[in-house]
Amino acid sequence: MRGRFGAITIILTCAAVVPIVDLALPESLRISEAVRGVFLYAILALGLNVVSGYAGLLNLGIAAFMAIGAYAFAILTCEIYPFQVGFWPGILLTLPIGALAGFVLGAPTLRLRGDYLAIVTLGFGEIVQDLLKNLDTVTKGTQGINPLPSPSFGGEAWTASDEYKWYYLLLAVLVIVVLFVRNLERSRLGRAWFSIRQDELASRSMGIRVERVKMLAFSTGAAIAALAGGLSASVLSSTGEPSNYDFQVSILALCIVIVGGIGGIAGVLVGALVMVGLNSIVLVKAAAALAALGIGGQGNVLLSPNNWKYLIFGLALVLAVRLKPDGLLPPRIERSMR
Amino acid sequence: MSVLSAQGMTMRFGGLVAVQDVSLTVQEGEIFAVIGPNGAGKTTLFNAITGIYEPTSGVVQFSGREVRLGWTALTIARIALAFVLIGCTAVVAINVESLWTRVINANYVYLQPFPWGKAAGDFFRALAELPFSAGIATGCIGGCVGAATTLILWWRSRRTPDVIARSGVARTFQNIRLFNELSLVQNVLVGMDYRMKAGFWSALLRLPLFFSERERFHAEAEKLLEFVGLADRADSAAGSLPYGYRRRLEIARALAGKPKLILLDEPAAGMNPSEVVDLMALIRRVRDAGTTVVLIEHHMRLVMGVSDRILVLQYGKQIAEGTPAEIRANSACVEAYLGTESHG
Repeated sequence: MRGRFGAITIILTCAAVVPIVDLALPESLRISEAVRGVFLYAILALGLNVVSGYAGLLNLGIAAFMAIGAYAFAILTCEIYPFQVGFWPGILLTLPIGALAGFVLGAPTLRLRGDYLAIVTLGFGEIVQDLLKNLDTVTKGTQGINPLPSPSFGGEAWTASDEYKWYYLLLAVLVIVVLFVRNLERSRLGRAWFSIRQDELASRSMGIRVERVKMLAFSTGAAIAALAGGLSASVLSSTGEPSNYDFQVSILALCIVIVGGIGGIAGVLVGALVMVGLNSIVLVKAAAALAALGIGGQGNVLLSPNNWKYLIFGLALVLAVRLKPDGLLPPRIERSMR
Repeated sequence: MSVLSAQGMTMRFGGLVAVQDVSLTVQEGEIFAVIGPNGAGKTTLFNAITGIYEPTSGVVQFSGREVRLGWTALTIARIALAFVLIGCTAVVAINVESLWTRVINANYVYLQPFPWGKAAGDFFRALAELPFSAGIATGCIGGCVGAATTLILWWRSRRTPDVIARSGVARTFQNIRLFNELSLVQNVLVGMDYRMKAGFWSALLRLPLFFSERERFHAEAEKLLEFVGLADRADSAAGSLPYGYRRRLEIARALAGKPKLILLDEPAAGMNPSEVVDLMALIRRVRDAGTTVVLIEHHMRLVMGVSDRILVLQYGKQIAEGTPAEIRANSACVEAYLGTESHG
């Protein structure tokens, strides 16, 4: 019954020692900067896992909530706007703002079933991007909003050279999100989510208020995704352009959940490591290695590992579905829900 | 007092009349059976009673009360709130660029303190100066759409299965509908869900209420599994249970909400003779524990053995009602089941 929590602990402990190991390695082999991206995607995918994994609502627009979080954080904190609430209040405010956005989208649409809800969320993802692009009085259009504040604990604000501080901040947020999501999973609410995923009519006939429970899943997922958005904007000190939060991001988050094991926290962490790590660690290091050997470079696009990204994504998905249809670490609900 | 009273129930699907003018009254503490050949409309009747279908006509009362959410102050407040919120949002959203320019951009000088009071004043002045079409009209249209959708959603959710279940009426399904990935205890706990108080924040922050409630309901769920004879498998997945046990688990799950009335849809289907005997004892124990039982069943030995009264349906109509002895002696019922005997 504690088995899977053991897996989560192991993964997070490994993550905690990465920067220490990194210091012992030569510059070209260090990975902690890339692992930060894994953390951000893990937080995003944990949010999606609440919606699609626990409650079984296919959400193809999770990136929209990430964008809402990023822009909310930016507008609340950037010095070109009058609000300037500072890093910590700004990052905390992304949670209620994301939850509200989830509520606004969910209230009229959560009664739709399966595929129809997926189409609505897909559309929402596109609308939010267009809105951010065209509302340039408020959002600065395709420029993105910058600069954004960095966190500090009393003293000077961090700079880009404080990369290990950033690393442990993101890891700490990830740990908190994992704990909170786990608390929800192993509660009356998590049980209700699993029950409607398996048989909505039966849960309704047992007195579960399906709409309310779905809404809680939707808003919780949106809030976590918005948190991931706020954090990523702060790491980059810019929201970037709205198309940074496009369908690709939603699909990558969904791939993480599916490859890792839908409905389980440990699975999502492993999925994030595999899917994002492949792209930002393995391929980048391979490209560097090839360049060092004098192979590749400008002339031949096929010889640049960065261009293999989608090929490998596709291959990973096919292999995952073929060999591990329930994911790399499929959850054992009847045990974990004890 | 009657626990369940359904009068003049008719259920029509397009041209097909599945249930036609059926009335039944079940007294407290009774075991009441509904029998009839396949396709007689028994399950449809159950579905209409438990809110899965809205009956075409007819009135269902539980303990003398029609279960249907009525108008309350909360409903009206919610519709009014939807009108105001969505109306205001529509006005602000449609004019967001001009408002932002006037309120934020015009007042904010880079890195200078922001005049909040003046900005707020500008905001309301800008709203007041909006032309009619962009102001009041947008607000009213948005507000009406919001209020109307809220009203429709409320209207359609007045008598859904969750509302019926929460009023103390539980059921099982003909084609067993357990939560196969959850353990037995968890299945029972889903049935207890609406009796629990600890909500989102208690679970998220693990407040004391969460722990006390978890202990209490886990203990009760295990006791309930013992009651139906499944205590030794409490932590295995429901999907791993043998067929005969699944029906017992469904009964335990239905009992978890402490219902006054339980509707069992073919509880003996697929059971072997010794399991049927156990089931009869279980149904009696459920009744003796204070829950009125209504069951649909084809298994005549069970029906005749446990029922106090029996209702017979054929082609959606009721053809007889009475005690087991009366039904056995009723030639129409025997015909409905076995067909007419043809003489030489």
